Amino acid sequence: MEANLSPNRDRSSNPNPNPNPNPNSMSSIISSGQVWPTIDGPLGLTEETSVDYARRFYKFGFALLPWLWAVNCFYFWPVLRHSRGFPQTRKYVVRSAIGFSVFTALLSAWALTFSIGGEELFGPVWDKLVMYNVADRLGLSGLA
Amino acid sequence: MDRNQRHRSILDSLGEELIGILTPVSICMFTVVLLVCLLNSDPSSSSSSASFSSIATAAYAESDSDSSWDKLAGAFLNSLVFVAAITVATFVLVLLFYLRCVKFLKFYMGFSAFVVLANLGGEILVLLIDRFRFPIDSVTFLILLFNFSVVGVFAVFVSKFSILITQGYLVVIGVLVAFFFTMLPEWTTWTLLVALAIYDIAAVLLPVGPLRLLVEMAISRDEDIPALVYEARPVLRNDSVSVQRRVWRERNSSQNHSSDIENAPREDEVVRVVRVETESEEEDFGLSERSEISMPLIDRSGESSETFLEGIGLGSSGAIKLGLGDFIFYSVLVGRAAMYDLMTVYACYLAIIAGLGVTLMLLSVYQKALPALPVSIMLGVVFYFLARLLLEVFVVQCSSNLVMF
Repeated sequence: MEANLSPNRDRSSNPNPNPNPNPNSMSSIISSGQVWPTIDGPLGLTEETSVDYARRFYKFGFALLPWLWAVNCFYFWPVLRHSRGFPQTRKYVVRSAIGFSVFTALLSAWALTFSIGGEELFGPVWDKLVMYNVADRLGLSGLA
Repeated sequence: MDRNQRHRSILDSLGEELIGILTPVSICMFTVVLLVCLLNSDPSSSSSSASFSSIATAAYAESDSDSSWDKLAGAFLNSLVFVAAITVATFVLVLLFYLRCVKFLKFYMGFSAFVVLANLGGEILVLLIDRFRFPIDSVTFLILLFNFSVVGVFAVFVSKFSILITQGYLVVIGVLVAFFFTMLPEWTTWTLLVALAIYDIAAVLLPVGPLRLLVEMAISRDEDIPALVYEARPVLRNDSVSVQRRVWRERNSSQNHSSDIENAPREDEVVRVVRVETESEEEDFGLSERSEISMPLIDRSGESSETFLEGIGLGSSGAIKLGLGDFIFYSVLVGRAAMYDLMTVYACYLAIIAGLGVTLMLLSVYQKALPALPVSIMLGVVFYFLARLLLEVFVVQCSSNLVMF
């Protein structure tokens, strides 16, 4: 009855497009011998839907959402690890990873410059930009 | 289909399933206590009632100068208004679900998650930044907050998202709402908790209760209730040949496969009651209304999945689900206890966990919809007052005389 449970159940007419790329880790992954594209394993997505999800997360991440790219990489971590399986999904996940690293590098460069540089580097603008002053001015921190 | 084998396998996986639901509840409570201890410099109730007004303080705003009897009466009025508001909102939800406006409900869920994460999350982060004088600039802060909220909406909205991230975001939403509820005046908080526990019993067990209606409709239509519900990871059974998949609607297909166990799924379906939280209204009026719904927990227990596995090799997930409202009110209780002293926190935490265990046990005994709030809240409230009035005196005396620390 194992055939009912493998992800190829609904694609029984197609040949298996996902040969197990790493026979050494087969026993450590799952007894059915199948590598799942998501980190949830058998509880997650099948391969066809994962391409769709990876693509949508990648595209949405361009709306200033590097965290979404990071979540994309986290969710499809097995795709990154096994480089020969899941070719279409891997394309988007790798691009998300690159995007996330670039954005994080830029953002942390700016944030670190701001916090370490402080007033000596920026002058009076620092006081105008720092968050707790902005909050005080807008009255946001009046709750406690 | 050996009976003994089934019971042994349930006991094996029961510990893992219990941990799967106790861990997030504990994390939520711990985080709320942490936030309360960090951010609560002013213990008096008058300032907090002035700064946080919601529908729960609409009838009466507590101030220090009132007598005890006035405070009690005012708190009682507040709770009555709040419970009435929740009842109305729950009936509206039942009506919408009956009229099959599922898309609207899902959209509303996503919208409320966004409001909670962006608004309340932003406020708490600002409070933390202010408290620790963390030198972050507003641009970075806005980007981070925007990211955090939007991905949270995705986690709640998108049906097959990463389990861990969805669970994390639900716990965060619970923490945020619970923290804001702890800022209600003290008497109001306690009477509100008791009133909600009583409402929970009524709404779930009475045949006219809105939650019971909702559960029955969801079961009869075989749909998921569109609400914020925390779902623990389904337990994978190592001894079985096949592996359980998180099957959302495939119960029907599995029923068709074997005719001899066709009546089994309905009997084995254990329904638990949980709370679900939906939020309405904007924060800019200073009003925020929380409406709550108790939902049954659909737990396809290990028994049914074992029979499926032996018969046809396809199991349905036996995941425990707990509504977000339960998280919130447990954490409110513990957060309020933290405002007095940490000793009451320990007492209330143990009481709540014990209550949750009792609720799960009652569930397995009765095999029908049960409310998740009453036992824990009642135990928690009793333990809080016992600890505050009796235990503290004892422990302080012992410590100051160096008998026991």
